[in-house]
Amino acid sequence: MIENPYLNVLFFAALTIVFIISCSYGLGYVAKTIARISGGSPKTQDNAFAGYFFAAPWIVGFLIFVIVPLGFSLYWSFTNYRIASGVPTSWVGLENYQTVILKDDSFRSSIINTLYLTVIGLPLQVALALFLAVLLNQKMRGERVFRMAFYLPVILGFNTAVLLCWRLMLNTGTGIINQLIRSLSVSFPPFNWLNRAVIYAQEVSAAFFLGLNTGKFNLMLKVLEAGFPADNRVPLWVQSPLWTKMSVILLMLWGCGTMMLIFLSGLNNIPKELYEAAQMDGASPWQRFWRISFPLLTPYIFYNLVVGMIGALQIFEPIFVLYRDNQPIVSSTISMVYYLWQKSFSHFEIGYGSAISWVILAIIMVVTVIQFRLQDKWVTYDIY
Amino acid sequence: MNKILPVLKSILLYTILTGATVMMSFPLFWMISSSFKTVSETNSPGVVWIPREPTLEAYIAIFQNQDFLRSYFNSVFYVTLALVGTLISIAAVSYAFSRVNWPGRNVVFFLMLSTMMIPPQALIVPQYVFFNKLDWIGTFNPLIIPGYFAGGAAMIFLLRQSMSQIPKELDESAFVDGASHIQIWWEIIMPLIKAPMATVATFLFVGMWNNLLSPLMYLQTVNLYTLPVYVSTLYNINQTVQPWPTIMTAAVLTTAPLIVVFFFAQRYILESVVVSGLKG
Repeated sequence: MIENPYLNVLFFAALTIVFIISCSYGLGYVAKTIARISGGSPKTQDNAFAGYFFAAPWIVGFLIFVIVPLGFSLYWSFTNYRIASGVPTSWVGLENYQTVILKDDSFRSSIINTLYLTVIGLPLQVALALFLAVLLNQKMRGERVFRMAFYLPVILGFNTAVLLCWRLMLNTGTGIINQLIRSLSVSFPPFNWLNRAVIYAQEVSAAFFLGLNTGKFNLMLKVLEAGFPADNRVPLWVQSPLWTKMSVILLMLWGCGTMMLIFLSGLNNIPKELYEAAQMDGASPWQRFWRISFPLLTPYIFYNLVVGMIGALQIFEPIFVLYRDNQPIVSSTISMVYYLWQKSFSHFEIGYGSAISWVILAIIMVVTVIQFRLQDKWVTYDIY
Repeated sequence: MNKILPVLKSILLYTILTGATVMMSFPLFWMISSSFKTVSETNSPGVVWIPREPTLEAYIAIFQNQDFLRSYFNSVFYVTLALVGTLISIAAVSYAFSRVNWPGRNVVFFLMLSTMMIPPQALIVPQYVFFNKLDWIGTFNPLIIPGYFAGGAAMIFLLRQSMSQIPKELDESAFVDGASHIQIWWEIIMPLIKAPMATVATFLFVGMWNNLLSPLMYLQTVNLYTLPVYVSTLYNINQTVQPWPTIMTAAVLTTAPLIVVFFFAQRYILESVVVSGLKG
């Protein structure tokens, strides 16, 4: 082994390139031979060679990094395999799956957290993206600059450094966001009322979801008993289990740029004649949006919901940066992937982790199938 | 009335959009502003928009911090090496899917598209065990080598779409002149797809530069940490006073390459997000 880490990886990179090129030639010649035996013309033989020659990196990679790992993880999910535990691996049948689905509190809370993000965060995110897209679709000067500004958070969004900046801003006592809320509440009474109403609604709903998780609703009763928040209340972003998910939703809203671009392209595809005809008939802008734009955008809304929901299962970086070392509250916000990481790499329970992966995979499949079934009910594809 | 209404409408529109822009870019402003503050300014309840006496202390300190500089070098090293290999292999595979008519192409292409359904996290456990068997934990190999096998179905799809649009006659006349597939790929097709290559390179760059999960799993020693992992260790909950100016300086230096790349590539990116529905 080469001691220097940089030379080490350069050596293995070179080795990999040699390996890939030999695979390319190998696969190419095999394909060519098969084409010759099955009586293909010289041109077919050449094409078979070239096709497999160029596609070989993907084909080989697919076998090494997708098919084989999937097979092994399926096998391990039925065992109690642990790295470096010294305990011999044995077959445990469906035990891992039973534990994940029925007994594992952390896994259940990760499902409920995802549900919260999906039910409360995702509609907000889609609505904001749609709102911004409709505004940008007015075709005015400087549209490009706004578009850039709204997309930039997607590029930055999951960088640890940027998330740490959010942690600074979300600080309960000294963070800029709460400072602004405080000073606005003092100087502008309607904002004060709005702020307290939002805090109330948010805490009740978060307490309800935490109750779903434990099966006991004391916390929600407590929040309800405490009544309408006092005058000087501010959100407790990174401090209270009632607020942790809201911080993640805030980040989701900030990163709505991808959805916005998808809506913009949807709006672009709507024929202008429809609007002109509606205007002739005297439809107001509001009617034009709900009667023309919205129905024709439903395929795009559908796409964003599917992708957004799968994304919510996979949120990792925000939880890691905002809550990693805050053990008491981290369970109020973990996502499935975060839990998978925790289980597999801090406890090295590979067998159990594999079972979690397969459950996640199954959930994603089920969610996708359900959404595709439901789409007939509300998605309009007529015009396309 | 008929003249005032459109003016009012556009004033309202610009006000809302400017407000939204301010909100969206506020974290960036706050990051830069905080990096010039003193520790007490960032931890006090008073709002300091722009520090009255900007200090460069944090910048001077971070450029003397060996761990930070090493992690910066590590990030650049890892991203460069991974990016070049991934780009070339993706371009090769896209060539197979768009310019060559080979038996089995549709089946393989369908398989490739279906891998987009598999969340990458479902594979991290077995891949970790695999790299553990190879004794690659604590090296850069697991971050770099998989990319050489044309990782990223969405990227292949994007590039294939662009390659399919190049007229077939180009290849055919080159064949008549006796060129091989490799020559056609490298000398004719590649120069024609510079713009889509730039887009794919940008997406890959952003994904690799921001990557936290795999470096966290595989690197394990401070010597090898890439920026996201190192920067996350700067914040330590056990300290009562966080060194925010230092953290924000590190943050500014970490995000700078992203912003520069985005600025130069935004024209291509904003269009291709829509084509492929990619998550940046």
